[in-house]
Amino acid sequence: MQTMKSILTPLCLLLLLATSCTEVLDRTPQGEYTLENFFRTEEQAVQSVNAVYNQLRSWETHVFSFIGMTDIVSDDSDKGSFTSDGFFLEEIDQFTFTPTNVAPASVWSGYYTGIFRANLAIQNLPEVPEIDEQVRTRLRGEARFLRAYFYFNLVRWFGDVPLLLEPFPDNFAIARAPKAEVYALIESDLQAAIEALPASYSGVDVGRATSGAARAMLAKVALTRGNFQQAADLSLAVINSGRYALYPTFAGIFTLEGENSSESVFEVQAAAFEIGGGGTQYNEVQGVRGVPNLGWGFNRPSDDLIAAFEPGDPRRDATILYVGEVLPDGSGIVEGDPNIVGERFNQKAYVSDHPGGNGNGPGNIRVLRYADVLLIAAEALNEIGRPEEALTYLNMVRARARGTSSSVLPDVTTTDQAQLRQAIWRERRVELALEQHRWFDLVRTNRSFEVMKPLRPSFTQNKNELFPIPQTEIDLSEGALVQNPGYN
Amino acid sequence: MKRLIFSLLTLLGCAAAVAQTTVSGVVTGGAEPLIGVSVQVPGTGSGTITDLDGRYEITVPAGRDTLSFSYIGFTPRLVAIQGRSTIDVNLSEASEVLQQVVVIGYGIQQKDDLTGAVSVVESDQLTDIPTQSLGQSLQGKVSGLQIIPGSGAPGADAIFRIRGIGTLNDANPLFVVDGMILNDISFLNPQDVQSVSVLKDASATAIYGARGANGVIIISTKQGGGEGTINISAYTGTQEVVRTIDVLNATEYATLINEADVNEGRQPRFPNPEQYGEGTDWQDVIFQQAPIYNAQLSFMGGGDRSTFNLSANYYRQEGIIRGSAYDRFTTRLNNSRQVTDWLNVAGNLSLGYNTSDNISTGNILLTALRADPITVPRDENGNFGDASAIGNTGNPLASIFYSNNESQAYRAVGNAYADVSFLENFTFRTNFGLDFNYDRNRDFVPAFRVSASQQNEESDISVFNAYRRNWLWENTLSYANDFGVHHLDGVVGLTYQDNFGEFISGSRERLVGSDPSFYYLNSGDVTTASNSGGVSGGDWGLVSYLGRLNYVYDGRYLVTVSGRVDGSSRFGANNQYGFFPSVGLGWNVSQEEFWNADGLISRLKLRASWGQTGNDRIGDYQYVPRVANGLGAVFGRDPILLPGASLTSLANPDLAWEETTQTDIGVEVGFFNNQLLFEADLYRKVTSGILFQAPIPNYIGANPAVRNVAEVLNRGLDISGTWRAGSDAFRYSLGANASFVHNEVLQLDGNTENFFGGGLGVGGQLGTNSRVGFAAGSFYGYELDGVFQSEEELNQFAQLGNQRVGDLRFRDQNGDGVITAAEDRVVLGSAIPDMILGVNGSVAYSGLELTFDLTGQFGNEVINAKQMARFGAYNYEARFLDRFTEPGSSLTDPRITIAGQNFETLSSRYVEDGSYVRLRNVTLGYRFASDLTDRLRMQSLRVYVSGTNLVTWQEYTGYNPEIYNGSVFDNGIDRGTIYPIARTLTAGLDITF
Repeated sequence: MQTMKSILTPLCLLLLLATSCTEVLDRTPQGEYTLENFFRTEEQAVQSVNAVYNQLRSWETHVFSFIGMTDIVSDDSDKGSFTSDGFFLEEIDQFTFTPTNVAPASVWSGYYTGIFRANLAIQNLPEVPEIDEQVRTRLRGEARFLRAYFYFNLVRWFGDVPLLLEPFPDNFAIARAPKAEVYALIESDLQAAIEALPASYSGVDVGRATSGAARAMLAKVALTRGNFQQAADLSLAVINSGRYALYPTFAGIFTLEGENSSESVFEVQAAAFEIGGGGTQYNEVQGVRGVPNLGWGFNRPSDDLIAAFEPGDPRRDATILYVGEVLPDGSGIVEGDPNIVGERFNQKAYVSDHPGGNGNGPGNIRVLRYADVLLIAAEALNEIGRPEEALTYLNMVRARARGTSSSVLPDVTTTDQAQLRQAIWRERRVELALEQHRWFDLVRTNRSFEVMKPLRPSFTQNKNELFPIPQTEIDLSEGALVQNPGYN
Repeated sequence: MKRLIFSLLTLLGCAAAVAQTTVSGVVTGGAEPLIGVSVQVPGTGSGTITDLDGRYEITVPAGRDTLSFSYIGFTPRLVAIQGRSTIDVNLSEASEVLQQVVVIGYGIQQKDDLTGAVSVVESDQLTDIPTQSLGQSLQGKVSGLQIIPGSGAPGADAIFRIRGIGTLNDANPLFVVDGMILNDISFLNPQDVQSVSVLKDASATAIYGARGANGVIIISTKQGGGEGTINISAYTGTQEVVRTIDVLNATEYATLINEADVNEGRQPRFPNPEQYGEGTDWQDVIFQQAPIYNAQLSFMGGGDRSTFNLSANYYRQEGIIRGSAYDRFTTRLNNSRQVTDWLNVAGNLSLGYNTSDNISTGNILLTALRADPITVPRDENGNFGDASAIGNTGNPLASIFYSNNESQAYRAVGNAYADVSFLENFTFRTNFGLDFNYDRNRDFVPAFRVSASQQNEESDISVFNAYRRNWLWENTLSYANDFGVHHLDGVVGLTYQDNFGEFISGSRERLVGSDPSFYYLNSGDVTTASNSGGVSGGDWGLVSYLGRLNYVYDGRYLVTVSGRVDGSSRFGANNQYGFFPSVGLGWNVSQEEFWNADGLISRLKLRASWGQTGNDRIGDYQYVPRVANGLGAVFGRDPILLPGASLTSLANPDLAWEETTQTDIGVEVGFFNNQLLFEADLYRKVTSGILFQAPIPNYIGANPAVRNVAEVLNRGLDISGTWRAGSDAFRYSLGANASFVHNEVLQLDGNTENFFGGGLGVGGQLGTNSRVGFAAGSFYGYELDGVFQSEEELNQFAQLGNQRVGDLRFRDQNGDGVITAAEDRVVLGSAIPDMILGVNGSVAYSGLELTFDLTGQFGNEVINAKQMARFGAYNYEARFLDRFTEPGSSLTDPRITIAGQNFETLSSRYVEDGSYVRLRNVTLGYRFASDLTDRLRMQSLRVYVSGTNLVTWQEYTGYNPEIYNGSVFDNGIDRGTIYPIARTLTAGLDITF
């Protein structure tokens, strides 16, 4: 066609027509860059990594299905709202879901979108011409941290998953990589992030991933993998860095004041601007349904969770918002929806009145906080035969929870490994309840069957520990994806 | 070329003038002798005309054995002399159709000389269907043209499909109005239209190159001329919904919800269902009888050297759903002037303006089916009933009441051209066309509360403004000449087209007032302001080179060759230009000497064509990877939103055209002196390199690129026939056309066998699969095999997951004992009809005329997806009464549950037959006799009554089986959200002075 053009262009001129041929055909995308003219400046490099963070606030990544597949699926909570509302999450709650359920498909797409953006940045950052080298290194570390986090959740939900390390693979039929390979990438990404990232940020960069966050995340990965020595070393390194401290009050962590506090290791940053654009629906989907109208009332704390708190544990009231209770900020009383029986809500997701409506939630999503790190340390240390140290960290968490009421939550003293293990697990449950850790903890410790079966008779062993690969993904993968056991 | 013509002329000049014979006879037309018939010996200068008695006498040079007879208004004939000296000839009155000059791309042609498949509808064949849309009035008129009333909403356009669907993209044909190339014709007032040419095969469409693959519709508006006339016409009428859907009454509803509760292991919630009686049918609440009006005033005239047509039209249609309405005002000025012998200038200009009152149609319609029948629309205090209390839905009447959404569209479409004639046979035309539109919308929602789930805490306003302009500059040089029996014409051209549009929109909350005088952004709180803007309506340009050559030998042998080179901004440098050629051949068999036109077959023409056309409608900039803005992230203790940008879609730099290769064989036959005309076309269209954003796995993490992946076949048969008979006092006609289409996906992207699409609105399920070997967008799901009647059956038959007694039993297609999505789903139907049908008839006696139109389609299916849901407390359609309650109670319908596979999984239970036959229109008119009109100084006066969509014979249980959702992958899925069509009764009059 090039030859045709060379014949036609003079023909155009020959006819002496005012408009030039090429002018009509020359179009460049209006109001947006193309890949050819992007990744030229530091500003653009920063924007490309910001876009990865952007995906953390998305509905698919950290909202409805995410909560469903971490809390609702576990023994900590029921679906909430009225029966038919968000019924696919009821299926998640009851273990009646199939590969066509929306929830696995939703998180799958949310996390892989994040991975794509991270891969794009990781691939192109080295080529950016006008950039400070320190910024380049840091941005690459941030992207690798986020990629590791995305894969970490995916591998915990689905087991083997397609492992994409570049944005434009030649072939789209990509088989699931063995878990070990996925973890190897997660570990190398986090290791690289530890080296590349600063320990802290100031000003408008607060909230970006730090070396401490990468180290703590790697500790969690190690714990999940049963690499207790590594988990202990890494979590102790975080603890001994002296950069973190428990927030003075348990309830305070979940207020706006508690955001990016001394306890914060990594949070998804959100804010309710008047014109929107910075919020999430994380608060809304868990907010009070009824009066006051703060949300949809999903993720209802379960009876089982309530029973898990030791008598007098102040964390119970700080975790669960009951009908009839005064709202945490004192702005009113929860009346709820009279048509829904037994309403109660996740108080940790409560946010005070804010601009932009319920869907513009300002609450940061606490992905990793210091108490979690302490409990990782405790669990790992106990497993490698250092119970005394484990007790120290466990009791730090209990002491903060206890607050001023000295009569409750006495220090744990047992050094029996099995007993201490149970104590740490129980502590993790109540300390981190409804913060989307429970399901992963159950599966990680091989307790999902023993815990869930009595509560959910449909739970099937050697099947429901993993979620099904979304059916549409199997359909589109040209046979490359094989379903998890039991879901065919 | 010159040499060829010269040698042809030399050949003709060799007519030997040696021995001569004389032939005489009488020429009659019917029983009457014809005076002044031209009688000639073709290829010689010898000729005469008939006298007062129809007699002629002519000298025939030796070596000649043919006479030609031609007379205006009659079909010309060629007669072999075969040694006779007396030859009497009967000429048959030519049907209008055959005399027709047909408007084709960049020219006009005699119907007889066409090699392409082109159907023409003249203004008088557009029946009195009360509509603002030309498309609606074309339904059932043309074989090979499927018209789908996309929606029954006031002012809605019709959808055009020519010869199946040869793309997975935009399948709309190209529209050309008086030479201006456009993508839609919503601005056209059908009463301004003179003729519509439907270009179907490649011989006709290749001259539109990269945009011809979906067929081309050429519309010519009335140009005026002759003595001055004034025309006034008007109609008024009333509309109502054609049918409503049977839903449960309040007692039945309470009964079934109780049953669902029990089946879900809960306490039944309605202790005494009978107490609720009939309750509310929400459809009665939202539908209304709605008026429709139209008035048109036009002036036409001209003189020796000029023509003009000036018209104005007002149209108003209220919707059959409360709260919806449409108003349109259009004007048109067409003008032409022969300035000098060699210069003719002309212009056509249409200015129009319309206003729509919009409602959230889909939501209101679906809620009207699903809202519980126990709740009242309004309580005794006039407050809206809270349908969320029982049924968990909104109150559709309240949705209508609180909706204040108005859109306006301003449109100017016009063109002006100059024709310069030179060297006798050449004409140069430069034509400049402009299509400008400006759209605006404002949407105000007051603060209100019906229930917690149906409320708006703060009043808000959104406004939207967009403009688009599209200019076209065409320069063509045409040539036409006759050399004895040879006719040659041709055209070459160079054209540019350029389209650009932009939108801007904004919104604010907390308005200081709530009446329409406050529906402005400035009435809202500035701290809640948001805005957006960017390119809309296309940013593209085309540069094209076109050409066509027609050769006709002796009215018998026809050859057309055409081609176009299109360069488009939508494609990357690798593939920016495409070439689209065609060739067409024709043979007027009945013009041959050996043919006896007095026999049964008075006319016979054969046609064949081959060619390639393209489709470029894939959106702009698709070949380049674009960085999306607006992916910002929040950072900082004092949080701010920092901008973020990344790719969200992949791109394909090798993007090229979709190419449709079409072969067509046609036959045109006239019987009984052309009283019966019949036309049939057999065609085969293969579209390859179909541009599509083929779904890719989500693990890729970005939206797929558009690629030239697929190949689709359409083959079919278009047949039409017309019978006309009678005299001036009593005439009747009957026309019928049928179009058979076979649509099949030949290839997707080489290794993919399935292409899923068509969300069903429940559980993220997709309802269509464009499988290789089946129609594009075929419905795909489980085949219903029955209902599990007992525990034994549960053990005996394969299950989908864990099923219970009373659940649907799906067929285990591969017999492996389990039902799996991968292996047990099959094609359940398709939205593409196997056959579409149109029948038109008229009977006229004296001034009285009765016309009717029937339309129909056969062999298509509908997914009744509105019956698929997580019901919760929604109302059910009446069908759900046939539920399974105990063994033997139902073999087809499951037990009532709130959700689960019975209601969320696509199976043949939800696939219904979409065939229908509709009495589209019946009109009875009376044209007053001239003794009255003369006294009133009128040229004509006609009054009529008309009924549209009077009766539909359909199996489908929804409103209308014509389900158009805008995409091949989505059509035929009835989610209960399409505005139903109306049955309309009108009365009108038409006066010409």
